[in-house]
Amino acid sequence: MRKYFEFARVQMQVHAAYSAWFWANTLSVLLRMLVIYFFWSAVYSNRANIEGLPFKGMITYIIIAMFLQMFVSGVGKELAHTIKDGNVAIELMRPYHLITRLIAMDMGDKVIYFIRGALPLGILAYFFLDVTFPQTWLSGILFLLSALLGIWIGTFFDLLIAILAFWTINLWGLEVMKEAVVSFFSGALVPLILFPEWFQTVSLFLPFQAMVYVPVAIYTGILTGTDVWMALGSQFIWACLLFVSLRVLWSVAIKKVTIFGG
Amino acid sequence: MKRYVKLYYLFCKQNLKVMMEYRLDFLLGVLSVMLQQFAGIFFVKIVFDHIEQLNGWTFYEILFIYGIAATGRSIHHIFFDNLWTLGWQYIRPGKFDRLLIRPINPLFHFIADRLQQDGFGQLFIGIIVLGTAMPHLNITWGFMAYFILVVMILASGFIFVAVNLFFAALSFWMVDSLPIVWTVFNLSDFARYPLTIYHKGIRQLLTWIIPYGFTAFYPAAYFIKGSGFKNLALLTPFVAVVSCIAAYWFWKKGLRAFTSTGS
Amino acid sequence: MINVQNLSKHYKIAKRDPGLRGAIKSLLYRKYEIKEAVKGIDFQIEAGEMVGYIGANGAGKSTTIKMLTGILTPTSGEVKVNGIIPYENRQKNASHIGAVFGQRTQLFWDIPVRESYELLKHIYEIPQKQYEETLAEFVEVLHLEPLLGIPVRQLSLGQKMRCELAAAFLHRPKVVYLDEPTIGLDVAVKVRIRNFIKQMNARYGTTVILTTHDMQDIEEICQRIIIIDDGTVIYDGSIDRIKSQFGDKRVIHFELENASHFTLPGRLVHDAEILPKEEEDPHKVSITFSSKDITGAEVISIIMNHYPVVDLTIADPKIETIVEEIYGKGMKKEVRHEEVF
Repeated sequence: MRKYFEFARVQMQVHAAYSAWFWANTLSVLLRMLVIYFFWSAVYSNRANIEGLPFKGMITYIIIAMFLQMFVSGVGKELAHTIKDGNVAIELMRPYHLITRLIAMDMGDKVIYFIRGALPLGILAYFFLDVTFPQTWLSGILFLLSALLGIWIGTFFDLLIAILAFWTINLWGLEVMKEAVVSFFSGALVPLILFPEWFQTVSLFLPFQAMVYVPVAIYTGILTGTDVWMALGSQFIWACLLFVSLRVLWSVAIKKVTIFGG
Repeated sequence: MKRYVKLYYLFCKQNLKVMMEYRLDFLLGVLSVMLQQFAGIFFVKIVFDHIEQLNGWTFYEILFIYGIAATGRSIHHIFFDNLWTLGWQYIRPGKFDRLLIRPINPLFHFIADRLQQDGFGQLFIGIIVLGTAMPHLNITWGFMAYFILVVMILASGFIFVAVNLFFAALSFWMVDSLPIVWTVFNLSDFARYPLTIYHKGIRQLLTWIIPYGFTAFYPAAYFIKGSGFKNLALLTPFVAVVSCIAAYWFWKKGLRAFTSTGS
Repeated sequence: MINVQNLSKHYKIAKRDPGLRGAIKSLLYRKYEIKEAVKGIDFQIEAGEMVGYIGANGAGKSTTIKMLTGILTPTSGEVKVNGIIPYENRQKNASHIGAVFGQRTQLFWDIPVRESYELLKHIYEIPQKQYEETLAEFVEVLHLEPLLGIPVRQLSLGQKMRCELAAAFLHRPKVVYLDEPTIGLDVAVKVRIRNFIKQMNARYGTTVILTTHDMQDIEEICQRIIIIDDGTVIYDGSIDRIKSQFGDKRVIHFELENASHFTLPGRLVHDAEILPKEEEDPHKVSITFSSKDITGAEVISIIMNHYPVVDLTIADPKIETIVEEIYGKGMKKEVRHEEVF
């Protein structure tokens, strides 16, 4: 356990070292928040609410969802590259579990990003962009729990896709595709309640809404009462399912390396 | 000039051959970009399921703006994608020297070095979106209108190229300017929607400083009756030419600095 | 062919304190440090010469080559290659030169070698007939036939280097710059590459500038060497001359039972010197001397009289040792000698 903690710590330092990228990222997030703000202001220019959501609720949803989306992808890219350039064989000989190490590093990244990026930007959004706090303490706490589950699901899904690198070549394409599907179905762009009926039904059976929509819907009060507990339950099931499928797919992929030499 | 056209053709031929070698990759790349673009369009559609118009702009007008942006950007994406790689693939590993000992223009060589397959996805989506939106615009599509549309799209593409070239050239001084190029490129997100929804300052910025407004909104406004931007729209090709000249000048300046420091 | 006059290159290096504070501070004002990579060098190289340009890492070798190829603009001084100032007329100069830069490929990574050559044909505007002749010749000499259909990225190091060389000579350039063309290659490939370079020189009168750490390359290919150290030329002349000038240097490596307290026996103090150790080994000691002052046999017998010797090897007076000597400390010693006499 200790060594994985060390990986997380080192990753935090690495993160801090790339300050050019940090500022580029911060600025880009700011720009996106501006686009979001103006776009939704225009949408709400002559109506009070959409599907029961007032402007404040909508902007809160979109901004929180945008932040959460940054946390639901993971180290899939690193894993995929390790596989692609053949270093996975070396990594497998090292005295740690590769996936656990990657997750530890990812956690380091996310913690640092939360402190340096998301938190200050979130405070900024609170003061300037009409983002509000959850209505009750309970929904705030349940949001945190649900967000952690969502991040877990996102991280594992990311790694699951990355393992496909054993069988494909165009990593960038795979990445973009995953990104598009996630932002589409997870409700990161717009609350799922705005989607057509059939689409909402379909996404009920997919893991994506558990990544972003569920936590943010709890935060903004779109989900209330027993719906919250139901949603948390389904998140928990997805989290377990993805965890198990990752283990299975990984061992299949590893066999490919050890038997066929990659 | 003739020589460069022929050389470009030969470079392209080689690049296409490589692309065809990895057919699955080609498909995956094209599909992924199409999906990405589609997500953006779907988003607009969802929003318009709940509203009739955005600040006076109808769904198809927004779609039209989107289509011009996507098609214009595809020119940049297919033919000029190498601009992203100047710092980390050429200057940092010293590969740029290779271009300097060839008897052809280094910028030409650098651009011709790569053809980006994924951009075709962007092109397809752009054309589909334009095709969907155009019949719903209140204008008759005669030869002249088509001609102007093509000119506008080309101009849009070259504005994207110019902006990226300009900021990529910073790499000559600072080794890798990718974070800056990327941040500036993200500004083009604003250009997907009518500029009238934004604060005046943002509008000025996107019109006169980083002219992303001319990559989609102004050209589209030319075809939309009563938009009030017809005159500004006509500036589009002019803006494209000026930005390209400015960017190339900056590139030359960077190259000179590079050959005197050789970082 | 190549005319270098009083050529200097100074770099301005911005010094920056680490961290964010340093970054912000450097926006306001910058401290610069001037590094003189090349300090006013002169040399002339005639058409058809093959010259070894050597020096330790950081001596200014690649800076000079970059200025000769037009990649870098000098701070002062002048370069003319074939009557052209390379950094002012880079593209024109480029059509008359060829280059192999160590491990960096000049070919096109993803496409088959033959297609790469085809592109180069158009880039350098080589007439079709000449292109076909040249390629046929290279294919034979460098045994390229089986490689032509393979993309560069799939070639082994040796295969790649053979293809690189062909690419550098393909347009029959007047001058070719070769930077470490044999680094990391096996002996057979090295021999083939050296033969190819010699053959090109003999047939087309190509001027060759070779930078390398492999002295075997130099000895086999070049008639003349230019040694650069700390930005200045410290030797320019024939290999034969350097051999006769410094060739009396001998080195003997002794393995002793215990060499930790080794000092030179009194009779050797004036004629020999202990070489600095390459590795920390308490049993080994190397002694250098000039055959003009004392014979090897004498040195050995003196040492054997004073210390129990387990084993010894006598190093050849090869160019390696000589060059090592020169840009290690030899020149400084030469200067000291002159002062003494």
